[in-house]
Amino acid sequence: MSSIIGVVAPRLLGPALILAAAIIVKGYADVGDGFSAGVIVATALALRYVSLGWELAERSLPVLRRAPQVATAGLLIALATGFAGPLVGDPPFTHYPRAGESVIHIGTLELITAVVFDLGLFLFVTAAFVVLIHHLARLAQGGPR
Amino acid sequence: MTLLSLAILIPWAAGIALVAVDGRRPVVGWAAVATLGGTLVALVALGAEVLTHGEVVVTTGGWPRGVGITLRADAAGVLFAVLSVGVLLAATAHLVMGGVRERTFPGIVVLLAAGLTGLFLTGDLFNFYVFFELAMLASYVLATYGGSRRSLGSALVFTLVNLLGTFVFLLSVAGIYHVTGTLDMAAIGARMDAVDPNAGILIAVGFFVAFSVKLGLFPFHFWLPTVYTGARPAVAAILAGGLANVGAYGLLRFGGELLPRELDLAAGALVVIGAASVLYGGVLAISRHNGSEMLAYSAIGQVGYVLVAVGIGGPVGFAAAVMISIVNSLNKVLLFLTTRMRGAIVGWAFLLGALSVAGVPPAVGFVAKMELFRAAADAPALLVLLFLGSAMSLLYAFQIYQYDFWRTERHGPRSHRSQLAVLGIVAAVVLVAGLWPEPLVYLSDAAARAVGGAAVVVGDGTVVSDGLPAVTSAP
Repeated sequence: MSSIIGVVAPRLLGPALILAAAIIVKGYADVGDGFSAGVIVATALALRYVSLGWELAERSLPVLRRAPQVATAGLLIALATGFAGPLVGDPPFTHYPRAGESVIHIGTLELITAVVFDLGLFLFVTAAFVVLIHHLARLAQGGPR
Repeated sequence: MTLLSLAILIPWAAGIALVAVDGRRPVVGWAAVATLGGTLVALVALGAEVLTHGEVVVTTGGWPRGVGITLRADAAGVLFAVLSVGVLLAATAHLVMGGVRERTFPGIVVLLAAGLTGLFLTGDLFNFYVFFELAMLASYVLATYGGSRRSLGSALVFTLVNLLGTFVFLLSVAGIYHVTGTLDMAAIGARMDAVDPNAGILIAVGFFVAFSVKLGLFPFHFWLPTVYTGARPAVAAILAGGLANVGAYGLLRFGGELLPRELDLAAGALVVIGAASVLYGGVLAISRHNGSEMLAYSAIGQVGYVLVAVGIGGPVGFAAAVMISIVNSLNKVLLFLTTRMRGAIVGWAFLLGALSVAGVPPAVGFVAKMELFRAAADAPALLVLLFLGSAMSLLYAFQIYQYDFWRTERHGPRSHRSQLAVLGIVAAVVLVAGLWPEPLVYLSDAAARAVGGAAVVVGDGTVVSDGLPAVTSAP
């Protein structure tokens, strides 16, 4: 397994990110959301951990060491979309833009509450998986936290 | 509306942030205490609004009711939320003063508070389940905080049993949705009348089992002693005084508001199970010579009273059930916090807690036992049971008092003065509520009315309100 994985794993992250972005964007017209996008990226990252070992994987991609903070930030973003309403006097979990208002587009991406929520969820799911993989790998291979 | 959102948002946002930082640093622990304090203030303010202006209802996203998820604060929900967060605050302050050893502890406790507040303040069945799971997940982590192999083992038992309980709960939620087509609690109560009685009973039994597991009622209690004795005192106080409220609240809310017909049908069975719990817990508590083991079995006995009161039903029975739940919760916090402390103040606090468990004045337990006697006044057999239960609790509580404070001195490091202060505050609440019970009686009545204690089931199985003023809904 190692020779194939060794070649594929480092090259898989880019395509996985693009696939995840596509899944988030199309999620509002078709199947897909932040959770599945997060799982896809996390799988690509898991493969890096498997092929490189946790130390090398994290040295080559230092942002992985910040996974707990990324997970927290993601959760807070997701939570903020729910409770932005009460800050401006609307009920909690209000959808912005409100019905009838025009939507800001970035290409085909519509900037709406649900997209922001899914981005937060994506960050959380990806980072939470990385934290799990980190701890499992450390248990299996030994070494400091 | 803002208060309701705040009460849920504060612990949720702060909990997420606190989980990410190192909770062993004192400042993080104190941040958790401050968050719980802030949540408590928001809940008390919300409670004042509910009591003066009636139920506060917010439908999320400004959707029409029935489409959006409903958040609802009524007297029962707010009362249980204030109680649970108060318990969490006392136990967390106690633990932080002694030094936190686990890095995630402050964040997890605050997330537990978020789950509890959410489930007490929701008007939607599925939302209840989500917050329930949040609270349970946090408590699974809390249960592991003993450090020893034994506490890890007991945490595993706790997790497995409660996961099973939650699964049964989810099945019943699905059942309710299947037969009524809605998850809105108010709408379910109205639509259950038209449902096939057999389906109704099946669903009700599912909810009953789920909440009994949480409460640790007699046939579902097997996980409880190992967990309560394996956990650290503050964690045991959180589980017994905070999390167990979910069971009592669930029985009242689901039995009283959602499934009053089924509750009426099963009233006899509930009283019998409750009585079995009282006797079983009492007898086993007498046979224990260790403080926390006695408390664990005592917890099983004490929740039996809640079930007996729910079984009696009606405004008086429900009010008694609410009051016993509150008193149980206070007793458990007070007594569990004393288990690994020593000194004269600890002795006095334990004495007060013991009196309260046994239902002897001036402690607040007396008021609760009085309410229960009032509710059970028509049934001589129940009065005998209550008397027997109280006598047993007096026996086991003072047996431990004698072992731990009279015969020998407790050993170990001196307790922090600040921890003694926390203990003193909880003890003061138990004492003052016993000497001046009117607020407690008023709150329990209001809560009982909110969960349908005012409704009665008439002969042909329909549910009618007995003409008490309906709770108005604030815009």
